[in-house]
Amino acid sequence: MSSSFSRRALLKGATLGGLATTGALSGCSSGPPPSTATWSMWSSSPEENRVWADFGHYVERRMHIRSSSTLTPSDGYPTKLDLQLVSGTAGMVTALNGWLIPTYASRGAHRPLDALIAADPDFDLDDFYPAIRSISSFAGHTYAIGFDVAPTVLYYNRTLLERNGVDPPSPTEPMSWDTFRELAVELSKPTDQYGFTCAPTIDDLVSWIYCAGGDVLDGDRDTSPLDAPEALEAIHYVVELFVKDRVTPPIDNLVAQNASGTALANFLQGNVAFMQNGPWQVLNVRKAPFTWDIVPFPAGPAGSTPRVSGSSFAIPSGVKDDDLDLAWRLLKTLTSTGALNIYARAGRNNPARLSAASAFEPPPANLGIVQRILKGEVAGGHPFNVTTNWNRVRLLLGQELPRAFLGQVSVRDAIDGVMPRLNALMRQHRDAVRQAT
Amino acid sequence: MAVETPAAATAAPRRTPRGPLRGPRFGRNGSETLAAWLFLLPSLAGFLIFTAGPVVAAGVISLLDWNLFSPPHFTGLDNFARLGPDTTFWSALGNTAYFTFVSVPLTLLVSLGLALLLNQGLRRMAVFRSLLLLPYATITVAVAFVWVWLYIPHDGLINAVLGVFGIDGPAWLISDDWAMPALILMSVWKSFGFGMVIFLAGLQAIPQQLYEAARVDGASPWRTFRAVTLPLLSPSVFFTVVTSIIGSFQVFDQALVMTDGGPGSSTTTLVMYIYRTGFQNYEQGYAAAQSMVLFAFIVVITAAQFLLQRRLVHYDI
Repeated sequence: MSSSFSRRALLKGATLGGLATTGALSGCSSGPPPSTATWSMWSSSPEENRVWADFGHYVERRMHIRSSSTLTPSDGYPTKLDLQLVSGTAGMVTALNGWLIPTYASRGAHRPLDALIAADPDFDLDDFYPAIRSISSFAGHTYAIGFDVAPTVLYYNRTLLERNGVDPPSPTEPMSWDTFRELAVELSKPTDQYGFTCAPTIDDLVSWIYCAGGDVLDGDRDTSPLDAPEALEAIHYVVELFVKDRVTPPIDNLVAQNASGTALANFLQGNVAFMQNGPWQVLNVRKAPFTWDIVPFPAGPAGSTPRVSGSSFAIPSGVKDDDLDLAWRLLKTLTSTGALNIYARAGRNNPARLSAASAFEPPPANLGIVQRILKGEVAGGHPFNVTTNWNRVRLLLGQELPRAFLGQVSVRDAIDGVMPRLNALMRQHRDAVRQAT
Repeated sequence: MAVETPAAATAAPRRTPRGPLRGPRFGRNGSETLAAWLFLLPSLAGFLIFTAGPVVAAGVISLLDWNLFSPPHFTGLDNFARLGPDTTFWSALGNTAYFTFVSVPLTLLVSLGLALLLNQGLRRMAVFRSLLLLPYATITVAVAFVWVWLYIPHDGLINAVLGVFGIDGPAWLISDDWAMPALILMSVWKSFGFGMVIFLAGLQAIPQQLYEAARVDGASPWRTFRAVTLPLLSPSVFFTVVTSIIGSFQVFDQALVMTDGGPGSSTTTLVMYIYRTGFQNYEQGYAAAQSMVLFAFIVVITAAQFLLQRRLVHYDI
């Protein structure tokens, strides 16, 4: 009898427990209440979290509604965003790195904003730098509104240069490649001192390729011009810095060398004279225990025209009806001068709006060069043109180019080896553009 | 005084017996059947939702052309047809097979050797067992990061130790020849603890009188190992081989953290390629087709092991 009772009681308890758990879980998955401004962003540090929390407070003050942001570490952001978009759990507004905009736009994951912009007399697209407007567009339509934009620049360790009796480079006149190479060699010492650091990946190489007058993709052809003389000259130049001149910290493993933070880590150790990077690293370099500054990127045969990158906010295609109106107001708020002032004052990066540019303040002393380059007053920049399958291009080149940087194969052989597959990706890109238009 | 009548005596067995013989109640009210199902339900639901469901879903998706956002299109077996000329797929499969068929035997040998050592009645065996199990209990990604440091060609600990013996260590993770062996070495170190515990449990279940009989018969240690230990340990070996091969065919995280599949594609494993196809190249259908092929490989290899089990595995002597 007692056995029977306890079993029944146990079953009853298990059933009730199951129901309670189901109820609790369903409560957990109900998401934010209606009329909440939901948005997604990548964030990999407490400092970044604070900036986005301030954005959330700003949204609530300005829009008088609750703000709810989903923050994800940058490495996992695209995958999480994909899953959120497919499952319908993405925010009304999602942040996109500029190089991902063609990928999402061509797949119909985000909506073009032209109609919303045209219907809103309060929104001034001309207040955004032309470069970020270009980066945020696909097939002639605006798919996103920028929140930061900047050219790649050259950081230098002033303390190390002074210690070696080398004058700092001109803050406005870009060095020639020859001068830069001589300096990098002069500042490299066998006892763990290096002239230069960068990530030997296509995303960093592309600045050198642009400066040589080359490119990775050519909109008029079905083939990539990566094997053209200009691009080969640029890749050869950088590879020689690694392999022949040995002015760069040695490559120890393939994962770290592909990571964007490796060049920064090398530079922050204090034994590297020059680092190629963007102003988005200013916040981190401010922690350096030495004096430093930034100058324009070295000028190649086509001048100083490094890549200009940026990031934007976009609205997923699944956002419709009343939510679309709220999403547009949210997007405008997140990219407003007031919000970008918060972003720039925190030192995250150069803001995408001209009216917020003054909020991005020194150090470094020469920070103003960033805005002067963007305005075309000094040196120049080249929008980071990518394909709709840039992920695959990065992966292919990230797998095959390191052999050249390790001295295992020549640049010519490395490029010849990837061209058939690269051209296949270019054809796939053109097909995707054709279908999307 | 009650006298048991023949009728009562014959009726007695019809009473519901106590103990294990409770079969009749299943048929009468089904309450115990219901209880069994309720207790099984969590595991069954978990299996259906998280194992069988995804396998069926992958099978369906493998027949589609789907980039996650555009509506999927039925393409029949096109995704499977693409596998033939895809050299990267076969290269990834080859890398995975290389990893599996080198790392699994090595892991088994190390596990068995350590289990035999620990089974010698060492003092503080629990401490040794716990220490040796630590690598298995540690998160793979964390271990992989540590091994990346150990493998650094110039300043890494491994090459420094090799240098003491006058050996110029290789450029481990950036060398075509050494990247996969480096992954295998780390994997053996990470995994041997699991097999060791299984083998140790198996060794301790072998009756001591069998060893005493072998000793009385004058069998050598090697003969005793072959004739007593190994046959009675065969169920543990079988279990460990099956689970290790399945796990090795799914190797992903350490290769991603330590080599990112390079140099070139020399350490790109099949699961890494599937992940990239699905979530970086946005070809869900093609990734699902690759998954189904991997699933088929694992099923065939596991089935072959179960067939061999009849001849090689002994559950008694």
